Parts: sequence; C-alpha cells; structure tokens
Amino acid sequence: MVLGLALILFIAVDFERDVRPVFEQSCVKCHGGAAGAMAGLDLRNPASTRKVIQAGNPEASRLFRVIAGFDKPAMPLGGAALTKPQIEAIREWIASGAEQTASQTTGAKPWPYRLPQDTANASIDKFIDRKLAENQLAAKAPRADHQMLIRRLALDLTGLPPEAADFPLTYAQAVDKYLASPAYGERWGRHWLDVARYADSNGFEHDFNRPNAWRYRDYAIRAFNENKPFDQFLREQISGDEFDEPSNDALIATGFLRNYAKVGFREKDNPEFRLEYLDDMIATLGRGVMGLTVQCARCHNHKFDSIAKSDYDRMKASLWGYVEVDHPLVPREEAARWEQTNQAIQARLQAVRQQLATLEKPYKDQLLPAKLKRFPQAAQDAIAMPEAQRTPGQVLLANQILRTTSVSSAEAARIMPADAKSQRQDLLDRAAAIETQRPAPIPVAAGITDGDFRFTPDGPGDEPAPGKGIQRAAIEGAFLFQGAGKYRVPPGSEIDPGFPAMLVSGTPPVALPPVHGRTSGRRRALAEWLVSKQNPMTARVFVNRVWHHHFGRGIVASLDNFGRMGEPPSHPELLDWLALRFQESGWDVKALHRLILSSNAYQRSSSFDHADNQGKDAANAYLWRFRAQRLEAEAVRDQILAASGSLNLAMGGPAIFPPLPAEVKAQMLHGIWEKQEDGPQTWRRSVYVYRKRGLPFPLFEAFDLPDQNITCNRRNTTTVPTQALTLMNNEFVLKQAGRLANRIKELTLDRARQIDLAYQFTLARPPREDERALAQEYLQSGSLDGLAHVLFNTSEFLYLR
Amino acid sequence: MRINRRDFLFQAGGGLSGLAFASMLHGQSPYAAKQGHHPARAKAVISLFMCGGVSQMDSFDRKPMLDKYAGHPLTGKGDVVVRQGHPGPLMPSPFTWKRYGQSGLEVSELFPTIGAAHADKLALIRSVVGKSNDHVQAHYELATGVIRMGYPSVGSWITYGLGTENQSLPSFVVIFDARGGPFGGPANWSAGFMPAAYQGTVLRSAGDPIMDLHPPASISQEDQRTRLKLLEKLNQLDIERNPGNSELAARISAYELAYRMQGAAPEAVDTQKESAATKHLYGLDDAITEPFGRQCLMARRLVERGVRYVQLYHGGLGNQNTDTWDAHDDIRSNHTKHAAEVDRPIAGLLSDLAGRGLLDSTLVVWQGEFGRMPISQRGMGRDHNPGAMSIWMAGAKIGGGQIIGSTDEFGYKAAEQPVSVHDLHATILHLTGLDHKRLTYRFQGRDMRLTDVEGELVPQIVA
Repeated sequence: MVLGLALILFIAVDFERDVRPVFEQSCVKCHGGAAGAMAGLDLRNPASTRKVIQAGNPEASRLFRVIAGFDKPAMPLGGAALTKPQIEAIREWIASGAEQTASQTTGAKPWPYRLPQDTANASIDKFIDRKLAENQLAAKAPRADHQMLIRRLALDLTGLPPEAADFPLTYAQAVDKYLASPAYGERWGRHWLDVARYADSNGFEHDFNRPNAWRYRDYAIRAFNENKPFDQFLREQISGDEFDEPSNDALIATGFLRNYAKVGFREKDNPEFRLEYLDDMIATLGRGVMGLTVQCARCHNHKFDSIAKSDYDRMKASLWGYVEVDHPLVPREEAARWEQTNQAIQARLQAVRQQLATLEKPYKDQLLPAKLKRFPQAAQDAIAMPEAQRTPGQVLLANQILRTTSVSSAEAARIMPADAKSQRQDLLDRAAAIETQRPAPIPVAAGITDGDFRFTPDGPGDEPAPGKGIQRAAIEGAFLFQGAGKYRVPPGSEIDPGFPAMLVSGTPPVALPPVHGRTSGRRRALAEWLVSKQNPMTARVFVNRVWHHHFGRGIVASLDNFGRMGEPPSHPELLDWLALRFQESGWDVKALHRLILSSNAYQRSSSFDHADNQGKDAANAYLWRFRAQRLEAEAVRDQILAASGSLNLAMGGPAIFPPLPAEVKAQMLHGIWEKQEDGPQTWRRSVYVYRKRGLPFPLFEAFDLPDQNITCNRRNTTTVPTQALTLMNNEFVLKQAGRLANRIKELTLDRARQIDLAYQFTLARPPREDERALAQEYLQSGSLDGLAHVLFNTSEFLYLR
Repeated sequence: MRINRRDFLFQAGGGLSGLAFASMLHGQSPYAAKQGHHPARAKAVISLFMCGGVSQMDSFDRKPMLDKYAGHPLTGKGDVVVRQGHPGPLMPSPFTWKRYGQSGLEVSELFPTIGAAHADKLALIRSVVGKSNDHVQAHYELATGVIRMGYPSVGSWITYGLGTENQSLPSFVVIFDARGGPFGGPANWSAGFMPAAYQGTVLRSAGDPIMDLHPPASISQEDQRTRLKLLEKLNQLDIERNPGNSELAARISAYELAYRMQGAAPEAVDTQKESAATKHLYGLDDAITEPFGRQCLMARRLVERGVRYVQLYHGGLGNQNTDTWDAHDDIRSNHTKHAAEVDRPIAGLLSDLAGRGLLDSTLVVWQGEFGRMPISQRGMGRDHNPGAMSIWMAGAKIGGGQIIGSTDEFGYKAAEQPVSVHDLHATILHLTGLDHKRLTYRFQGRDMRLTDVEGELVPQIVA
C-alpha cells in the first residue's frame, strides 16, 4: 500500500514542473510571449488557457487535440512536435483538473517582485506567533538558560567562545559587547566573503597567487566592524572607482567584481574568457545581491522566472567595459611620480640590454647550429634549404625550429674571449646597479575600472603568445586609467545597459558618469538602482541572509533564489517588515542584528522537543524552538584555538599558511603555499588562512568548505566519517588538545577543578554530575590531554545551540 | 595498527549502533545504498586516466595517409589551432602496428600486452571530441562535463545516485601517480555544488592510505579506544538532553564508520598478501611497471570490496614534460616510456578481473584528456588536439573488439559518429544503472545534470 501511494505521488503531474516548461519552450513564442497572443490565446494567462481546455476531459480539449495531432493545424505550428512524454504530461494535467498558476507576465507582479509591504503595529514575535498559531504548533520552547544564551551570542556574533567575564553580563550587555568586538567583523565579514567567492589565488592550471587580494578581505571585515551602511557597502563594491572622489576603501572594494576564478593563460589571446568572467559577475550579483538566478538567462529566457535573455544582455552591458586594474593606494600625484621613475629606469635598462644583445650576437650565432643537431634529418634538411626553395612543409618545420631554439646568454659567455667577457660583466653590473634604483613598490588594490582590456598593462597570464596577440593601436578614450579625457565604452556590446524589466519601477538612469569622466557610470547606476527604495530585492535578500545566519535557515531558505524554483518564504510579511525597517534605519546592519536578537524567537531553547510539533513541522520552519547549527569549518578551528588559549588575535594583512601535510602539498601544481611554522604566527583566525582555489585547506574541506569558485549562499552541512577522522587523528587538533591540557594544569592541579575548567574552556559551562563522573572515571587511566581531545570531538562543541 | 572490525563500539554500544543504523536507513546518511533507475550492468567503474593526452595516431588509430603526406602542411581543414608555438607539417607515426585477436583490432607497438591479451575485449571509440586544448580545462571536462572548476565529478554523481555498499570504505576513490597529482588537482574529484560527502577520497599507495586515518604514534591504540569510549558516552548523554535532533545520532554513526575505516582502508589497499602470480600479472616484479601495477591492483581490491568508482591517474606533474603523456618534445621517447609503464599493469588488471569473474560487472574506461595533433612540433613532438581522441571501454558485458566512430584521413578531427564527453558520461551512468536525464541535483534553482541538457548514449556500447 505504501508503495502504491508513492507511485501515485511520483507520477502526479505538476504544472510548474511538467507543463509550464513545455509551454515556455514550445508555445509562448506565439501564444503569450513577445509576439503577443496569436489566435487570442495567451498560455501564460490561466483565464485564456481555460478557453482551449475542458478541465477533466483532455480528449475534448482543443489544446490537447492540436498537440496530439488529432486536429489541424497540428501544434506547435512549423516547429518540432512535442515529445510523447510532454503530450502525456499535458493530457494528465488536463485530466486532473488543469490547475494553472499565472505566469508572471500577466496581471499584478507576484511576490517577490512587488515592493515590500509594511505591517502596522508589528514585531518579530507577533509574526512568528501568528504563524505558529496558524499551523497549530501549540508548544513553544522556553527561553534558553543564560549560560547557553551567552555562548549562543558569542559564537553567532564573533565565531569565538565566550570568556568567563562574559557570563555576568545581561543579555543586552552581551549583545552590545559582541557587536562591538573586532571579532564580529571577522565572522560576519567571512559570511560575506562566501557571497563574494573570495580567494587568494586564480584557480585553473596556473593558480597564480593574488598578492593583494587580502586587502579586499580586510575591507569586508572592516566594513562590518565599522557598521558601514549596507547600501554604501554595495555601492563601493560595484562602483567604488566610479565615485567622483573615490576613497581608498572604495577602490579596494572593487575587488568584489574581480574575485572570479581566472584561467590566467594568454588572456589577451582569448577574449572569450571575459564572457565567462562577466557571466560569473552576473551570477554573483544576481544570486548574491538580487536573490535571482539571472545567469540562467544567458542562453535563453528564464524557464521559470520572468528574466529574459535581453535582461541578461542589458546587465552584461552595464558591466561590459570592466578591466582589471591595480589601483594605487597613494595620492594620484605620488602614483604618477612612481610610474615615471619606474619607466625611466625601464628605459635605461632597455638600453643596456640592447648593448648586451649586440655584444652576444656573434657568439650566439656561432653556437646555434650545434643546437639544431638534435632534430631529425627532415628538419635539418628544412633548415639547410635556402628559404626561397623550401617546400611549404619545410617552411613550417624550419619556422617552428628556428623560432623556438635559442642560445642563452650564459652559453654565449662561455665561448667569449676575455675582453668580451669582461665587457659583458660590465653591462650586467650596470643593469644590476640600475635595478637597485627602482623605487619601492607602492601599495595597490586589486580591483577593476572601466577600459578596454586590450590596452591594459599585462599581468601574470595576460601575455599573448609569441607572434600572436590582438593588441592594435589604442582606440581613443578606451582606457583612461591614468590620463584625462572622456571614457568610451569599447565595442562588442551594442546593447544598452539596463536592469531586469520585471524588477524596475519607473525609469531609473542606466548610467551616472562621474565628474572625472574616466568611467562610463554604468556600474554606478546599477549600484544606485540596486540600493534604491524602488528595488524590491536587495534589502529583502540581505535581511534574509542575516536571518539565516542567526537562525540557521532563511525566511526564504534558498538564500540565493527568491524565484519560482526557490523555496517559498515561511514568513513573507515578516521579511518585508524587516526589509523596510532595515531601509529606514539607513541600512544599519548592527541595528538589524539588535532587532533580531531582541526577539523571543531567537532566545528559545534548542533542546526543547514536542512530539506534536515534530509531526507538523519537523524542519522547525516556524521556529517553535531554536535550531541547533553545526559550526562552519572556520569556527570549528577558531574554537579549538580559543579553547587551548593559543588563538592569536592579530587582525588583517597578508594571508597565513598553516603547514600542510606533505602528501597534500604534493597535490599542488602551481601557485604558492608559503612555508610557515605551526605556531603563533599561524594560530590566527581562520578567515586569514590563504584561500587557494586549486587546493582547499584540508581541515576546512572536511567541514564543508564551499566551492571557492562561485558565489555561495548557504553552506552544506554534512556529517561524514572524514570529519570524525580529522578530529580524532589530525596532528593540529591533538596538539591543541595538549595545549589546552597544559593551560588547565597551569591554573590548577586539582582534579575536579581541572574537569571544570576543561568544560568551561570548550563548552562554556560546568560539567553536569553524570559528565563529571564519566570524566573522573576516564582520568583514572586517561590523561587530561585525552579529556581535552574528547571534548573537542563532542557534538556540543561543534554546534551552536 | 590493525583493528578487529567488530570493535568495541559495536559491543559496548550495541543499542546505540542500532539507533545510528536506523537513522541511516531513513536516508540521513548520504552513503545509504540506493536503487538505480534500471538494472545495472556495472557495479563498479575503474577509470584509467592517462594525464597529458595520448596520441591516437600512435596508439589505436593508425593513419597510413600520414606516411604518404609526411612533411606536407595540413591543409583544407580550416584554421589549424596549436597550443604551443607554430604549426608544423604532417608527421607519420614512428611506431609499428599489429592486428590482434579475432577482431583484428590494430594496435601500435606501444601496447603489445593489451593488444595480444585483450583486443577482443575492447570497445574502441576513435571519435571522442573535447572542448578544450588546455590540460586543466580538458581534465575538468572529462571529470565533470564542464571545463570550469566547481562541478561534481562522475564519481560524485554515481555515489550520489547509488550510495555505497561498503559502509567501511569511501565509495569514490582516487589513486594518483607517485610522481604527483593530475592537472587541475582536487577539482577533478570534487563534489562541486553537492555536499562534500560525495567527493572522491584520495588513497595513497604508501603509508596511511587516507589522511588522518590513524592517530600519530604518540597515541596508542588503547588510548584511542578509551577516548572514543568516553566520547560515545558523552555524546549519548547529549542525545538524551537534545531530543528530536537526528544529526546527533548521525554524528555518532560517523565516528563508528571512521573507526571501521581505520581497519578496512589499509586492508583494502594492502597488496602484500596477493600471490606472487598475481603480483607478476600486474608487473609488480618490475621497477618500470611496479608503480602503476600497484595502482591497478589496488583498484581491483577496492572493486572487490564494493567501492563504486576508482579513479586511477597515470602521469603526474612532478615534471610535466617527462612525467606525463604530454609529448610536445618527442613522441617516440615520451610515449614509449609511458606506455611501458602501463601496458602490462592494464593488461594484468583486465585478466585478473576476468579471472575472478568481476569483469562482467566492472566497467573499465581508458582515456586521457585529449588526443594529439597529426602535425609535428619541430619534427618530433605532437601538440594537443581536442578534435579527436581514442578511448576504450571494456567489461560490463560490452561487445569487445569493436571500433566505434572514426577520424578523418589524418586523425585530426572526428569524422563518423562524433562522441562528446556528455555522451561518454551518459553512457557510463547508463551502465551503472543510472539514467543521466533523471539523475538530477537541485542547485541554483535548477535540476542540474552531469550531462547538462545534452548526452546521447553510445548505442554500440549499451547494446
């Protein structure tokens, strides 16, 4: 019987899943799409669809008859016939009553495209309580005890366990303390870095180091600590370089758009790579900021949401002119002086190198024939043949060999007579002397600005192949990073910039050129539109993200997809209300935390259980209790370091490289992993660990580090044996357990007190009697190291509760 | 450290194990065995990946026209795109060829043992077409169907689709060349957007096969046991105080699995107890064939123990030019060296699987990331060519001795029946009992597939 039921559920036709895609793909081009409603039929409008359907009777329905070929003209007219399963699905759908929800192009805009609606006399708890009542969830968890709440707040807001001094604080005082702690920015900045797909290396084969990427990471941390209004935070990241007078932070912030994984090989020979990077930016802005999978419309109109391919193209046009640039973080004049000095040195070096080449040439020419001897006879023949007489094949062969075979400077030196040798040494010394006059590098931020990528300076991996490259004479106005003038968007995108039509109210400007004229102002207009009151998505999406991190689940559980295929909101009115309060507050993130943390819902116990509630809402979507949340990888490591007393709280700067086991390092092909000792230098917070795209840090990987290449909104949480193996056997974990034991021994030699402290440092509470008894029993043969190690492994240690 | 698999956890906490097991039965373990979409022909897949790219014209796709037109430019085929430097003239294969078996399959002198022993078992596809001439991107395409990082690999999809039969071993195992990992590193066996539980586990052929499998020497076995015993009791108290949270039981079960893995994983890859005859079969008695022979023998042992997907890499990036098949410099010396390292081990693997009755239920796939160019590099080497690649499959009751698809007269591009990587993946999934169109994972609001919106079964393989 159970099996039969499952079977029925399995074959039941679902309009969204089975029918709408068929309509969208094969029908609406003529019946309801851009071309209008031919024959008066609009299949996106249920009322119109009903005219060609007799619900419950497919065989009598015009729609079914024409697609099945029973009536003429067979549909789709002039297109491929529908497949059997498609026809069958539509038949089933009509037979079962033909329930249709309106496509979003008809009538009023559906949630979430509507602007947020306010509710009067509301509070978080009123919204929550109403939903609990509506869903007959009668029992609510009591307030968690104070000790538990302090630990919850500390982990949630700072990612670190509470200190003993925190427990006497009132709940409100603890909120204030943790929000003011620099550790708050390290935790919440890290959340944002997931969205920003931040990493310290390029990825792909070469996995080049990004030596200045950390400035963006520090910027994100700083922004949260300074409580930078979120609208300003977005403006800077999308268009900081387009401000009339960009601050250093605004320039660093543009690293947000540059965080994509990059091939880093012959970029300028392969302009199509840029289309992938643009796609990644659109995916990041779409999912990360707008809560919509805009990138799905790259190749076709979105199948489920009202995002047209033209919306994608317009957004691409808004970003089209972007180029990678290292923004100097010193005053413009100073940067110009530095550049000048550098170029002068370059010119002097070039002159010396030229002399060197002239000196070495005869010796190199003398050595070359011997170098060519290793090639097969056919190649020798090709080279020996006078150029004019070579066959076409010999031309290719000779060309290949002669262009790729050279004699090195050192080889030439070996056969030089003494005077030439000393001349050569002289020139080398002069070059070295000039090199020492190079000015110290100025600090730069890896960001973007507008330009034409063909004319930007080459970075690692940008160089064209020898004899290739598409660089031609610069087009006037194409790249104005240094100079004056007025920027012109490079050719290639003839589409006007703009925003997804479904989300736009009125006619927001699509370009807001800055006074300096060096950029198009398109990204600036995009940012302004995103944070305007007329944008229905941005505030909701961010508020929902904050809610997710506090409660372990968003009001919309699919943080990056508010569209039709995302999860429906559990409390839509609450989300709107929060979004409006957030906008009113001037996008004040810390005020948003306070508002949420002050609710009763946040302060409920997580250990409460209720059979009836479990039956009705096992997922706890309506928050009848607090949801215990497995800590993220970074927080697991940080907690271990904090508990052992090893944590080095130094903030910011270049990344740290905790040592990797040799066999892991062996997997590394390119790029860097600096050698650093396992000690205070690397015992810093996990947000500072080098993020290498080609080599995820193993401890993090075990605890569900997300893919580092694309924007991530909600991390996976798995429970797998590798996590157990890591916590059981990893040397770092064991070493820190030893350090925790020593920390305790230094404080007391009293056994009972040691157990107390072990619990205090790891779980932020005293042991219960049964736990104390087990610990004492263990310590009769086991060690304090062992007890500390076991506590690192407990479920409680790994969970925010 | 060798541990009895029926260890204390099961004796001491019998009731608890039952509880943990129950939670797995209810689908909370990502590894619980699942039904496929149709009966499987292969319970396991062994992928033999030749890093760097094997030349089809020098291995399984003989081109007499190269002899005829040696030294002429390659013309009439559109723009010839080379990866390195400048295009050269057509270059014949420096190797001799021989027909083998009843099928008369033609194999170059590079693979005499495979040819002589197994020609009639191979389904050779000569017309595989890739999307990139970049090593890393081509690796990613073969591994995940996409040339970018961040997508789940074939082994992850199969684990996601079928779970695992042996709860003491990972389901998707990667063993690479002692000289280093493959191009593109861990993204080749990542679970991409799926939970990390589905990613490949790297097993090493020496020392502890899995990272952190055993505690360092300073912790005795007894010490670990007592720690785990205390942990189990504390976690059990925790479950009682936090009712209605299934993750907590799953965590206890994860520790049980981890503990079992400590015993099972070293046993699974321990080739010492194999007979001398078996070791000889795989070439373990010869320094040249020993390393890959060991990898192949480990693969057989893993498949015997219920591992679903074993990914072997041959060729590592210690030195890309000498340690992989990337024969830009000299096709003769490079391919001679590397073929000698794998010919006997691969032949041994096929013979051993057949001898143990495992070949009919195991799919063996031999592949690289792309083929190579019919034109020369400096008269000796060959550049990358994603336009045509020869791969073969064997086992899983696939019809052997057959040739599928073809290339043009020079082996430059696929001619008849081009087979895309999506087609290959669809076919591999099909053989394991999974329908590539129905095996979906919801991500970014979309039901993602290994084969995106493409993929056709290769009819001769699934026939």
